Amino acid sequence: MKKQKMFLRMISASLIRRRSRMLVALLAIAVGATILSGLVTIYYDVPRQMGEQFRNYGANMIFTPSEADALTRKDIEAGLSHIPADQVVGCAPYRYEGVTIVERPYMAAGTDLSEVQKTSPYWNVDGEWPSASGEILVGKNVASTFAVKPGDTMTLSYALQNPDGTAATADEARDIPTNDVKFNVTGILDTGGNEEDYVFISVEDMTSLTGNDGGFDVAELSVSASSEELQRYVDNINDEKTAVSSRLVKRVTQSENTVLSKLQALVFLVTAIVLLLTMICVATTMMAVVTERRKEVGLRKALGASDGSIIMEFMGEGLLLGGVGGLLGSFLGFAFAQAVSVNVFNSSITFHFLLVPLTILVSILVTGISCILPVRSAIDIDPALVLKGE
Amino acid sequence: MFFRMLRGALFRQKSKMIMIAITIALGASLATAMLNIMFDVGDKMNQELKTYGANITVVPKASSVLNGLYEMDEEDSSAYLKEEELGKIKTIFWAFNIVDFSPFVNTTATLNSKPVKTVGTWYNHHLALPTGEELDAGVTSLRSWWDIKDGKWIDEQNTDSDKVAMVGTVLAEREGVKAGDSITLSTSHGTETLTVSGIFDAGGDEDEQIYTTLAVAQRLSSKAGQLDSIEVSALTTPDNELAVKAAKEGPASLTPKEYETWYCTAYVSSICYQIQEVITDSVAAPVRQVADSEGNIMEKTELLMILITILSLLGSALGISNLVTASVMERSNEIGLMKAVGARDRQVTGLVLTEILITAIIGGAAGYLMGYGFAQIIGHTVFNSSIEMKPMVIPIVAVLIVIVTLIGSIPAIRMMQRLRPAEVLHGR
Amino acid sequence: MSLLEVKNVSKIYGPLKALDNVDLTVENGEWVAIMGPSGSGKSTMMNIIGCMDKPTMGEVLLDGADISKESNKALTAIRRDKIGLIFQQFHLVNYLTAVENVMVSQYYHSMPDEKEALEALERVGLKDRAKHLPSQLSGGEQQRVCIARALINHPEIVLADEPTGNLDEANENIVLDIFKQLHREGTTLIVVTHDPEVAEEAQRTVVLEHGRLVKEIINENFKED
Repeated sequence: MKKQKMFLRMISASLIRRRSRMLVALLAIAVGATILSGLVTIYYDVPRQMGEQFRNYGANMIFTPSEADALTRKDIEAGLSHIPADQVVGCAPYRYEGVTIVERPYMAAGTDLSEVQKTSPYWNVDGEWPSASGEILVGKNVASTFAVKPGDTMTLSYALQNPDGTAATADEARDIPTNDVKFNVTGILDTGGNEEDYVFISVEDMTSLTGNDGGFDVAELSVSASSEELQRYVDNINDEKTAVSSRLVKRVTQSENTVLSKLQALVFLVTAIVLLLTMICVATTMMAVVTERRKEVGLRKALGASDGSIIMEFMGEGLLLGGVGGLLGSFLGFAFAQAVSVNVFNSSITFHFLLVPLTILVSILVTGISCILPVRSAIDIDPALVLKGE
Repeated sequence: MFFRMLRGALFRQKSKMIMIAITIALGASLATAMLNIMFDVGDKMNQELKTYGANITVVPKASSVLNGLYEMDEEDSSAYLKEEELGKIKTIFWAFNIVDFSPFVNTTATLNSKPVKTVGTWYNHHLALPTGEELDAGVTSLRSWWDIKDGKWIDEQNTDSDKVAMVGTVLAEREGVKAGDSITLSTSHGTETLTVSGIFDAGGDEDEQIYTTLAVAQRLSSKAGQLDSIEVSALTTPDNELAVKAAKEGPASLTPKEYETWYCTAYVSSICYQIQEVITDSVAAPVRQVADSEGNIMEKTELLMILITILSLLGSALGISNLVTASVMERSNEIGLMKAVGARDRQVTGLVLTEILITAIIGGAAGYLMGYGFAQIIGHTVFNSSIEMKPMVIPIVAVLIVIVTLIGSIPAIRMMQRLRPAEVLHGR
Repeated sequence: MSLLEVKNVSKIYGPLKALDNVDLTVENGEWVAIMGPSGSGKSTMMNIIGCMDKPTMGEVLLDGADISKESNKALTAIRRDKIGLIFQQFHLVNYLTAVENVMVSQYYHSMPDEKEALEALERVGLKDRAKHLPSQLSGGEQQRVCIARALINHPEIVLADEPTGNLDEANENIVLDIFKQLHREGTTLIVVTHDPEVAEEAQRTVVLEHGRLVKEIINENFKED
């Protein structure tokens, strides 16, 4: 018992009374630990954070009716129940109907426009997104055909007796009674894709335009999950054989997988190299600090200390330094990772508690090993030589 | 004498100086590797993002208006792009940034008496450009997400006949078509019997279509020398205010100086503009889904790398200055002795600083080479291509090392000046 | 049986013969001085007697047991149990207080005991300086801490290497007085020195030159009081 007390007394005296040296060592360890915990946190968070950025590419999953002609809201919700709610970025159902505008046939889509903004963030709207009933978003090509601008009105005609629901051709439209509804154009849609040929209205407006609640043709989902998870959700939904059949938008999921895995490999390698070099830096600093004490090692040996007890003492110091430095570093590292996340991704990261013991452990190991090497070489030297040599 | 002492310190305390040099080399290599990667990551990620396919589509000028009139009946569309002008895309100002492009001809043909959308395009079309550059262009890379379920991609370079096709997986299943089969497509303009090279799964509408060569589709729709659209994949710079202004209000709204900056920067809008200049009666527009997201992701990646670089620079800076401090402290004995025999503070400081700076320069040079190696390891492992070494990294690293070493010496120098020789030599 | 017997010991470093066939016997309770100019082999002799080095040839018997062929580990144990060392440069651990420095020796030997350590400091007249760091002590005081540390484990031999080499005359006298006190108490003392005045205080002086024992002087005036 007494012996352990003396052990602790010697270590603490060494740490406290050799303040400047120990600060140097502690600083080195803390910096190393900061880099370790910071980079590892970032490494684990990058897929999630970047995954969210990749949602900018739009929907990566699609629900279509499996047997019936259309999907109801209930069907879509049943499908959604297979996906954790916090991973669903957005879910936009679409109902397509053929309409005529000034005698010309067009496709109109009834959808939830606030969800579309989430599933298709790349849609560029000149003007405003429709927010109220009676408002319409017009594709760029349609808009240029009729030379409409935001603020103009546009009348959609729906052929009421068009039982198969397909688009009425211009010729047919003349003979069939139509329901005409006037819409206010709030914005012009520019996507560089097919959407520029469509017009978009709310689901409610579509119901009143067609006079029936025809359900949805398709639902586009943007889900923030890895490709394996996505595949699992799709399989689960399809296995259940409900009204919904689901598939992945390959272009988005596959490409995301390719790019994200590259990015992750990049961050991994960078992390590995930075960590490796940092650890060597910490080790050399520790070695310099310990090498300075060769003489002390010689003295202790002359006083009759066994090799084991000398190593124990230095290890004790290393353990303490490594522990304190590691603890300090794991919090500083988190602060750094948080700063990166807020600056780059505008979102905060979760604190990985497991990283604290890991960081401390690695710090202790690195410190311990870098203490042992110079102490060992000092021990191997004759105490007489160390004590003589000025 | 100064130099003699210097030489003594550098060579006789070899192991200590080697340790400092190693630490500085490590720090310098870290800085070199990270800075080079940081400067190059934009280009590299840009290349990777090409897997999302084309970010620019080119269509005939009139089609956007006329399409409305004739609704999905492309065959009757009178507007078209000229096939012979395709090569000009690689002659624009930013030609080097055009990594891939492919022309498309769409038609509706009859297969087993059912209408099927048929697309003619390039697969790995070999282009030998007047500039001497060679390029394999086509959908093999522009549709990298396609899965070939059965058979293989159409290989234009090793097929004598252009009578080949690829069938979408949904259509193939419905019609019972397998790779190696022959299918007959007919339109009002003619009939073609094609060999199925492969069945593809695109996870989209294409799964119900047939993809064939450009020539076959042109014959089936009697559009010899004509194209319906071109998809272009270009490396672009993320948009800034200038690019947004140019895109919104047209290049005409820019001042001559702004115009020049805009034209000479690889914005997606300026590349579109340059394509329109070389292709007659064309409208080139960015595919927002790809172009916007690309900019977004590149920006984030670059920012991420900048911050990681800053962290590692800080880390290596602290590491170096820390070791310098530690190693000077270690020599308090020797410094006390020098002071005892009459050295002035300035002389001692000068000697120690010169020693460390010489070590730093050697370590820094070695570190730069090591960093080069690390950067290339990362480049080849992650991107399968080497990282371009920017010359500007050298002065940045050099200045960094010198500043960091000097800063690291400050606490040590202060300690040295406070040191009383008597204390060092006796009261140990 | 003599406490220490050095028989035909040689120590060879490359071409240099640091010790050349030296014989020395020290009885229990004896005070012996080893004298000689620089490079005469004093330090080598001291290292071998102090179990910090092994002879190239010859035997060293401590308590009748040959230690010249022991392993380093065994030598460490012998040093810990039987030898007390006093250095010219004191060699105190600079971040430990005087009493802690004494306790370090106890720690490696058996059990640290602060009371005993304080008593040891009291014996060398440093009770009131016990809580001071080495840098706060004068040279003489540091040397006295070093002596207290050497004595704390009641060694069979106290081996002092130029114990007064770094001290002024006043402190030298204090240290020599302590040695006399130790001798009276029956401690075996071996003092290595090049200072004739220090050597004169011993019962017997052996003189080394070029690694050979050239002279042995018995101090006629030695007072056994």
